[in-house]
Amino acid sequence: MKLLIEMTGVTKDFLQGDNVIRALKETNFTAYEGELIGIVGPSGSGKSTFLTILGGLQKPTTGRVLLNGKPFSELDINEKSKIRLENIGFILQASNLIPFLTIKEQMILYNKITKTKVNQTWMNELFLKLDVEKIKNKYPNELSGGERQRSAIAKALYHQPSVIFADEPTASLDTNRAFEVVKLLARETKEQKKATIMVTHDERMLEFCDKVYVIVDGVLSERTST
Amino acid sequence: MFLAIKELKHSKTKFALIIAVVSLISYLVYCLTSLANGLASSYTNAVEKWHADQVVLTVDANDNLMMSFMGQEDFDAVDANGSKARIGLFPAVINDPLADNVLDSRLDVYFLGIDDDSFIKPSELEDLTLTGNQVIVDEELRNEGYEVGDVFGVTGSTMQYEIIGFSSNTTYQTAPVVFMSLDTWQEYRYGSFNTPNLFSGVVVKGETSDLPSNLLSYTTKDFIATLPGYTAQVLTFSVMIVFLIIITAFVLGIFIYVLTIQKTSMFGVMKAQGISNGYISLSVIVQTFLLVSFGVVIGLVLTTLTGIFLSDVIPFAVNLMFYSLITAAFFLFALFGGLFSVSAVLKIDPLKAIGG
Repeated sequence: MKLLIEMTGVTKDFLQGDNVIRALKETNFTAYEGELIGIVGPSGSGKSTFLTILGGLQKPTTGRVLLNGKPFSELDINEKSKIRLENIGFILQASNLIPFLTIKEQMILYNKITKTKVNQTWMNELFLKLDVEKIKNKYPNELSGGERQRSAIAKALYHQPSVIFADEPTASLDTNRAFEVVKLLARETKEQKKATIMVTHDERMLEFCDKVYVIVDGVLSERTST
Repeated sequence: MFLAIKELKHSKTKFALIIAVVSLISYLVYCLTSLANGLASSYTNAVEKWHADQVVLTVDANDNLMMSFMGQEDFDAVDANGSKARIGLFPAVINDPLADNVLDSRLDVYFLGIDDDSFIKPSELEDLTLTGNQVIVDEELRNEGYEVGDVFGVTGSTMQYEIIGFSSNTTYQTAPVVFMSLDTWQEYRYGSFNTPNLFSGVVVKGETSDLPSNLLSYTTKDFIATLPGYTAQVLTFSVMIVFLIIITAFVLGIFIYVLTIQKTSMFGVMKAQGISNGYISLSVIVQTFLLVSFGVVIGLVLTTLTGIFLSDVIPFAVNLMFYSLITAAFFLFALFGGLFSVSAVLKIDPLKAIGG
């Protein structure tokens, strides 16, 4: 199995007043292709810090992050942007959809930005698989929470990134929809050989994960008994 | 481009309102410019139509053509390297002797006495001969109901004049000009008894040299600037228009800025997904330009329509150079507004969008 993410010796300090707060203690973490990894932990435990450092949105205080074997955390903002655009799929709690684009246009936006051709075959396949076909010409505000989340997943998968970061992807969904969404993520992760990191509050979703990590007070540890 | 246009199409009402504001303000600026320009032109039309380089008056006249008195020896003394022409100018109040109420038909005009072969005669009416009481009048008199062959009188005199043609763009200090032979003008000015051969000034094409000490030459531009009230009026309007443009620019800039700020979280999400600052900024700028373009085009169409309906009633002059300058100013300031917003986009932290 191919190693997609490698995080070594990463810490993150924040300045609060005159005090330095270590939000993330020294962390080592790896993710291989085909793995769906769940991250759980109470609020303020450092989950988001962990995910944003992985996604290159924050610089670690020490340590480094390798993505596909290449250094990622040391790059400058523009290079990181480019890598996020091409290699990372984000599924955000607040939804990563742009309000004034139809679901189909959300996908096309990627091609417009990268000046590439629309991959119609892949888009159709994705829409069918995620059951988005019927709503592809609708705007996000015309959709239900589940439909929006499925569309967001379609968007995160459309550009065929190697890793997917999902921040509370089931937060706004009822139980059935939530299970459906996570199952879908698990399936896509396996089929497309991606590494998916999912931060969640919802313990019920962890049964679909290959590994589960817990963060408490900035310390990341693997939970062995699920 | 993609984002900018899609958003315009999606939020039609919002953007239609902004375009409406831009077009109304630009309409206001264009209209005011046209009116100011029209008023200024009606002050100077007749002078500009001379296509002359210099005007010579007597020193004693103190810049006032109507208070300048010259004789033939002065005309001969003007040494010009181009053609020169004698003119006599004096205000008059004319009336229509056939009107039901003659007093109501009174109208302020300027009588302009010229030699019949002079370059000052409106070129479009070259074939007409100014002799005796036959005169050419500005077409504004046509709007007052006069036609070719009609006769008008002069208040305080029994003289009557016959209209043989209408000239265009020949107003002086907003009043229509009446072209007549210099002899006829002198008769009106000094009376028919022992009329002196005096006139007001000399209009020169080219340069004058070695003027006698009792004469003073003005460039046409300087001459226009000395017309009573002209400079003050042009200055007032210019200041008003410049302020309007600056205020418009601010309003536009603020609009764009507010629009951008409203979209902070969306831009944050976009940045988190790796969409570059450049791409987002470009779409803000493109959107600004589209809004301004639509607004300005609508403003110009409204101005043109206003011009068509109003130009008979009040002086309304279209000046393409002014329009281009104003339009350029709009775009320039809107660009500043857009760039200001771009600086806000650059500062957006994608981390906030993720809720970290």
